[in-house]
Amino acid sequence: MSRHLSGFRAWMWQRASAVYLAGFCIYALARLITVPPVDHQALKSWVGNPGMWLATALFFLFLLLHAWIGVRDVILDYIKSAGLRLGMLAAVFVFVLICGLWVLSILMGVL
Amino acid sequence: MEFQIYRFNPDVDQEPRMQSFAVEVERGMMLRDVLLEIKRRDESFAFRHSCGEGVCGSDGVNVNGRNQLACITPVSDYEKGPVVIRPLPGRPVTRDLVVDMSDFYHQYHAVDPWLKRKDPVPEQENLQTPEQRARLDGLWECILCGCCSSSCPSFWWNPEKFLGPQALLSSWRFLADSRDQAEDERLDALDGPYKVFRCHTIMNCVDACPKHLNPTRAIGHIRNLMLKKSV
Repeated sequence: MSRHLSGFRAWMWQRASAVYLAGFCIYALARLITVPPVDHQALKSWVGNPGMWLATALFFLFLLLHAWIGVRDVILDYIKSAGLRLGMLAAVFVFVLICGLWVLSILMGVL
Repeated sequence: MEFQIYRFNPDVDQEPRMQSFAVEVERGMMLRDVLLEIKRRDESFAFRHSCGEGVCGSDGVNVNGRNQLACITPVSDYEKGPVVIRPLPGRPVTRDLVVDMSDFYHQYHAVDPWLKRKDPVPEQENLQTPEQRARLDGLWECILCGCCSSSCPSFWWNPEKFLGPQALLSSWRFLADSRDQAEDERLDALDGPYKVFRCHTIMNCVDACPKHLNPTRAIGHIRNLMLKKSV
């Protein structure tokens, strides 16, 4: 029996990513409020810490995944024409991919 | 009391219009009685009805923006304001308050709303414990009036692909049944981004159901079962 449900998997990942995004935001905000970095260098070294770097990379990965599923849902709901739907899905996918590569280049610069 | 009724005859009218009727209301009168009085005055007026006691589910209409069964909706609920009666939203209008429910029935059929057994059918009774039977409460009572699915924006947008709250409630009714032996088959049939996952928990269905059933909860149970099966 196949459990590879495109609807189910998307739904599950959207919820799982939401939990991670919420947890990361709470931690990052709490850390920035309680121990504010004194300058840009201090902020860079905090994000450059391997654990924090990985957590930040995961944050952006899940953010983009969450956004992709959300926008995909809106397109599936509202766009009836198959051609237009495919075109819009492709456009959003390319946009998300470019954002991902941009985030990756920034994160690599921090290391 | 004034009633504004949606009128549209595709053979004659270019576009729909609202027609006002003044009907003298009596104590204990239901909206169906008002519609019958209007029908008596104007034979060209069309609406569906049958049992008159909220069992057959024929006379689902939209009253002041909310889907209701006309036969169990007291006129006294609307004493204060005008009563605007329209056909169930999102469905193609056949005539006046009569809508084409083909998509709705098609989706109901799509969930195979009957018991499926792999074991031979018992010669006599198919026994359940009281607990197993209790799981079906809040599910079997659906009368297929369509008030839920026709109030669901996701069903308005994708009536050919999204099963809609009624069909999903029926799907869960059989998934939850201890006598049914086609759980995997049923879950596989719910595969894809459209059939279940167009539900965005808007919950208009729960608000509209004249039998006070909860399709949103049933959809949640289906998703949880999928989750359980996937881990």
